[in-house]
Amino acid sequence: MNSVLTQLQPSAPHQNRLEEQDELDRTDAASWGSMAGFGNLDRTGGVQGMSIPRVSDPTSFLDMHTDNMSSNPDAKIKIAHGTTTLAFKFQGGVIVAVDSRATAGSYVASGTVKKVIEINKFLLGTMAGGAADCQYWETYLGMQCRLYELRNKERISVAAASKILSNIVYQYKGMGLSMGTMVCGWDKTGPCIFYVDSDGQRLKGDLFSVGSGSTFAYGVLDQGYRWDLTDEEAQELGRRSIIAAGHRDAYSGNTCNLYHVKENGWDFIGNYDVNELWYEYEGKKKAERESQNAAAAAGASPMAVEP
Amino acid sequence: MENNGGSVVAMIGKDCVAIASDLRLGNQAVGIASNFDKVFPVNDKLYYGLPGLATDVYTLKEHLRFRVNMYRMKEEREITPKTFTHLVSSTLYEKRFGPFFIEPVVAGLPTPTELDPHPKPFISTMDTIGCVTTPKDFAVAGTAADKLYGVAEGLWEPDLEPEDLFETVSQTLLNAVDRDALSGWGAVVHIITHDKVITRTLRARMD
Amino acid sequence: MECAFGITGKDYVLLCSDMAAGRSIIRMKSDENKIKALGPHLAMAYGGEPGDTNNFAEYVERNMRLYHIRNHYPLLPASASAWIRRTLAESIRSRNPYAVNLLLAGYDTTTSKPHLYWIDYLGTKAVVPYAAHGMGVYVSLSTMDKWWFNDMNKREGVEVLKKCIDEVQKRITVHFNFNCILIDKDGIHNINIDSQDPLAELESESKAASGDIVVDAPNSPLDVGVTA
Repeated sequence: MNSVLTQLQPSAPHQNRLEEQDELDRTDAASWGSMAGFGNLDRTGGVQGMSIPRVSDPTSFLDMHTDNMSSNPDAKIKIAHGTTTLAFKFQGGVIVAVDSRATAGSYVASGTVKKVIEINKFLLGTMAGGAADCQYWETYLGMQCRLYELRNKERISVAAASKILSNIVYQYKGMGLSMGTMVCGWDKTGPCIFYVDSDGQRLKGDLFSVGSGSTFAYGVLDQGYRWDLTDEEAQELGRRSIIAAGHRDAYSGNTCNLYHVKENGWDFIGNYDVNELWYEYEGKKKAERESQNAAAAAGASPMAVEP
Repeated sequence: MENNGGSVVAMIGKDCVAIASDLRLGNQAVGIASNFDKVFPVNDKLYYGLPGLATDVYTLKEHLRFRVNMYRMKEEREITPKTFTHLVSSTLYEKRFGPFFIEPVVAGLPTPTELDPHPKPFISTMDTIGCVTTPKDFAVAGTAADKLYGVAEGLWEPDLEPEDLFETVSQTLLNAVDRDALSGWGAVVHIITHDKVITRTLRARMD
Repeated sequence: MECAFGITGKDYVLLCSDMAAGRSIIRMKSDENKIKALGPHLAMAYGGEPGDTNNFAEYVERNMRLYHIRNHYPLLPASASAWIRRTLAESIRSRNPYAVNLLLAGYDTTTSKPHLYWIDYLGTKAVVPYAAHGMGVYVSLSTMDKWWFNDMNKREGVEVLKKCIDEVQKRITVHFNFNCILIDKDGIHNINIDSQDPLAELESESKAASGDIVVDAPNSPLDVGVTA
């Protein structure tokens, strides 16, 4: 009977604190005011009591039952996976473009996922890897950024925001968190992109692409990228790269969400159907070729090289 | 199966049958070709689809072409859908201990004979080692099989005329493969009637 | 650890492969030719398990040559692709399968059409206008999707190939040197893809029309004086 009871009891928080200590923290948290919805925060705003399965090795337990770390693709629990996301800086700010497909195994679980998380008016986070991991921690990051603003009377820098996120995920390193995210925004230093992943890696850069379709996106992005792209050209490049990846990668596609970050915050440019755009591009390619051929036939240089 | 992806669906109508497949050939997540037809003709009343491992699709297709041609020469007549099904089935079972990774679907209209002047349209499907089932409504196979079942159960109805059957089978295939990451990249539909075969390629999602 | 591309154009096909060879993390050679001429208008770029690759390529080469000797004409690309595919498909279910992936490129002199086949070690064959094997698959298929189009002339084809190579060198952490050939109605030509104008040599050659410069191609079987 006792053993059944122990099984039914909630698992212990992984920080081995004494219960009185927990009690103390809880009263303390209450004195900070309402923590509704985030009731598991401690006095410093850190997350507490993330419950860990009570087995001798939680990491291998998780690995055995989920396909999270791709070491066990046959696992029964399929975590939403597969993505193409990209972000790049250019003369006119930052372009962020993502697809919207979520797959569990080979099943397309959703085609309308929002993979750009609007952290605040000046910060965007992208989502690749575990959908829940990204959603939860980037929302949490949004909260931390707001607290920073209230405490310091100025907006948080992209560098600092991404550091908060990378510090959090680094705490959980090796425990099965899976996220590859780009924190993008505009701060005092201008446009800024940081790549943060669940290994704890954090990179500053001009151009990133993350997810299963990222290599395909790079293939178009790299070959079309220049710093002095116009706004329209840059938006088109972001969109075209996502369509390229959506086409080739089985686990990316459906629609493309496009954002443009400028000095006074981000703009949502639009949502585009990958399939419709693909046919449009193919049609354009054919039409361009035909007019080119017609021009060549009319006596233009027959050896014209495409610029 | 999950290596190359691909799906096939067949449906029975009123004096007609339909068989359709997607056109994707993938290497796991990466799409390689969008012209990989998995449905092949035996004659103008009989088609079959071979979803599964692409190398076996070719090998089995060529093997069956040989066997059907030999049959045609020896018997001096066309093979019937039922006989062809058994030919495919025994071919698969011959590889019982190292199977072809393929789940064939056969669809055909048997030609009227004196004994059976009004034969019913025929479809059949097999598992990888040749266990035959002959459904009275529709047959599905491939990586999107479970999704195809769902849509087909909802859309299929008895005694559909050729054009209605075309619409039903097309919608079934397109909507099912849109929920499967490993199928899609184009689709082709064949409607077999007594006087002609209508073949159409569909404008499918390319992502 | 390899990378190969094939691109068809209006009246030619380009084949390009890296030249690295070695064991595990060690590169023992960076100028290994991994493109084999199989006939006057047929060649393949191959990669896969070291040892299997060369063995299989030579096996194919000898069989293509045997066919040429016996029949006084070479196997056409479509038929060659079927034979190679079948060989691999039979091999995969044998006790010691070849683990070789290849791109087969040829020019069909009877129809004047370029051909390209993507074939993997399982015996999967795809007929494609452009393709990649190895690491090139991930970064440069989309590059080809964007910039390839129907009926490209030689210069345009080389431009696309250069974009692909540029992308591989940018995004793949391993450094590759590339080896490239072009097959057209005149046979197989070597191309220095690293040079500013890879086609200059080829064009001056064809202008001078000073005999076929066929690289690594077998001797004409008629020289052997053997009939079937």
